[in-house]
Amino acid sequence: MGLLVDYDEPQMMAATLTMPYTLTTGPAAGTFLAELANNRIVGTRIVSTGRVIVPPEDYPGGMSDVETEFVEVPQTGAVTTFTRTVNGVVALIRLDGADTDLLHRVVGDTAGLAAGDRVAASWHTGSVDELASPFLQLAGFAATADGTTGEVTPLSGPAEAIAELPYSMKLDYEHSYGPYYGRMFDELASARRIVGSKCPKCLNVLVPARGNCDACFVPTGQLMDVADTGTILGFSVIHLEFLGQKRKPPYVYAEINLDGTATRLIHNVGGFDITKAEELLDIGSRVRAVWKDVSPGSGTLDDIEYFEPIDLPSSGA
Amino acid sequence: MGRSVAVVGCGQTNHSRRRTDVTQVGLAREAAQRALADADLTMEDIDSVIIATGPVLFAAVNQPDKWIVDALGAQGKPVVRVTSGGGTGLAGALAGVNQIAAGTHERVLVVAYDKLSEGALQYSISTLYDPFWGREFAVGIMGFSASYWRSRIKPLGHTEEAAAMVAVKNRKNAMLNPYAHVKKEVSVDDVMNSRYLCSPIKLLDVPPISDGACAVVLSSESAAKNSPDPAWIRGMAYMAEAENAIRRSMRQSEPLTLAAAKVYKQAGITNPRRQCDVVEVQEPYTCFELSYYEGLGLTREGGAAELIASGATQIDGDIPVNPSGGCAGANPIGAAALIRLAEVVQQVRGRAGDHQIPGAKVGLCQAGGGWANLRGVSVVSAQKN
Repeated sequence: MGLLVDYDEPQMMAATLTMPYTLTTGPAAGTFLAELANNRIVGTRIVSTGRVIVPPEDYPGGMSDVETEFVEVPQTGAVTTFTRTVNGVVALIRLDGADTDLLHRVVGDTAGLAAGDRVAASWHTGSVDELASPFLQLAGFAATADGTTGEVTPLSGPAEAIAELPYSMKLDYEHSYGPYYGRMFDELASARRIVGSKCPKCLNVLVPARGNCDACFVPTGQLMDVADTGTILGFSVIHLEFLGQKRKPPYVYAEINLDGTATRLIHNVGGFDITKAEELLDIGSRVRAVWKDVSPGSGTLDDIEYFEPIDLPSSGA
Repeated sequence: MGRSVAVVGCGQTNHSRRRTDVTQVGLAREAAQRALADADLTMEDIDSVIIATGPVLFAAVNQPDKWIVDALGAQGKPVVRVTSGGGTGLAGALAGVNQIAAGTHERVLVVAYDKLSEGALQYSISTLYDPFWGREFAVGIMGFSASYWRSRIKPLGHTEEAAAMVAVKNRKNAMLNPYAHVKKEVSVDDVMNSRYLCSPIKLLDVPPISDGACAVVLSSESAAKNSPDPAWIRGMAYMAEAENAIRRSMRQSEPLTLAAAKVYKQAGITNPRRQCDVVEVQEPYTCFELSYYEGLGLTREGGAAELIASGATQIDGDIPVNPSGGCAGANPIGAAALIRLAEVVQQVRGRAGDHQIPGAKVGLCQAGGGWANLRGVSVVSAQKN
């Protein structure tokens, strides 16, 4: 079977990280978010100077502990500047009485929008639960013909701050394989073999295959077929469960030295009674790759199901 | 090393499993305020700021230094963020030390923190691995740490019982540390009977996950002249080894050995066990502390189990290690290495409180970064040379 890849094309591996978070908002942002549910916009006023900051900040005095109070800021203001994006107009808006700009959308008819135009808050009208973030309760700002200027007032009966905010990031990547990894993973998928590279100076065979020897720092040049048998250098029976884990515990994590190579391969050891791993496996135990019965493979180390022990004591598999 | 560098102030937050009262910047600011108060200085006196944190995936804010500048009042000053995995705190300190040693700055504030309660820790740490090669098998750093430890048990005698003694010692010491949040003494039997997470690592071999920050104020000699009790940086180094290193030793950390050799030469240390009065190491798993005893030259290769069993590294032993409780008391990763430095600094300044080693004059600390491949060492002393 030939190689699967046209090497004239750059080869990429798609990968996605989906990371969940519980963010700590702090008192200022937490109060701001909580009050949006009441259709009120909260700012911080520095008592000594009267400066009003929107959205509010926990530490407007830097390292100095200045006296501050929460205030209710008018829902009207003027556009400082704006940009048109594929997702609509995004603007810096100076609410009446505020000393800083608030970044938000301008909604409604924005065809004739100009800096200095008067705008008023536009609120989400459905359930809060359907919002991606409580911030979007404030849906944006819309142009208004009403020229009345609002005033900053003390915040009466502030809502309890939202202390914690669920959040998530889904991050999509396309990693370039480069020539050595590309060839190596292609060989895994198409030929069920592991490929390393040999250093012409120290004569060590390096897995994964790489362009330079990291001991001698000379170009390796030569690709080598590597045995799919090896020796366990270290192992652990994994009981820990964690988010993002690809395997269900218990399983054996191992650092394996493939025969003839000078490096370590991380993989799993399986195909035997895992509950007896502590007795059956040892540093120096011999293992061999068990390949998945799919052709072509996925072109990842997952094409090897696991490494199985060779010559276990009689109590084993 | 260039000009002499002193530490004139240290501050830590009250670490916690989860600080719901402050954002990540609030955490950093709290430590910075305490460090400045300890140094009897204000932000006006600071002419450079280093911010050290772990990977941004820990807490979802990219370039958090941008956010922190406001809360520190650092606008208009040079602000640089340093990140280098677990050892980040010491890497940040080294950046500040170099700024002063080189003569470009007089007083540098180094602030290190992580707010680990916010994200998925093991998942984030697993992204330290090459995306192509091994990430799908990664178990944070615990999987490889356990695997390496197992390879040391037979040849070096780093038994599970010896590691359990480290857990007992550090958790007992943490009782004396007002900043630690794990405050529960355990016995060797408790550790041995705790369940395996990644064998041979057991639940009680493992530190907590913490929110916390630490800050230190570094100073040139002339700027430190009004400080009543500066601690002098006698040596500091941070070393790397190749990621997929050829014939990597499973028994000793090569970058640690290199960093220790360099720092001992800078500091004139020929016998660390005799010349150092107190040691802080960034375990974080108990098996690492055993390994570091050897890597730092506190005992011969293969002598670690004997050393812990002898009581020498207890708080009243001849070479106390982690009188603060180490990572077992609190483990805000990005801050953990700077906490080790701050702890030995406070020891040689006589400001370590209930876990003060009487008369400590020379302190040694160690930092572990990345997954296996970055290690740092520093020596501080009450005497300039």
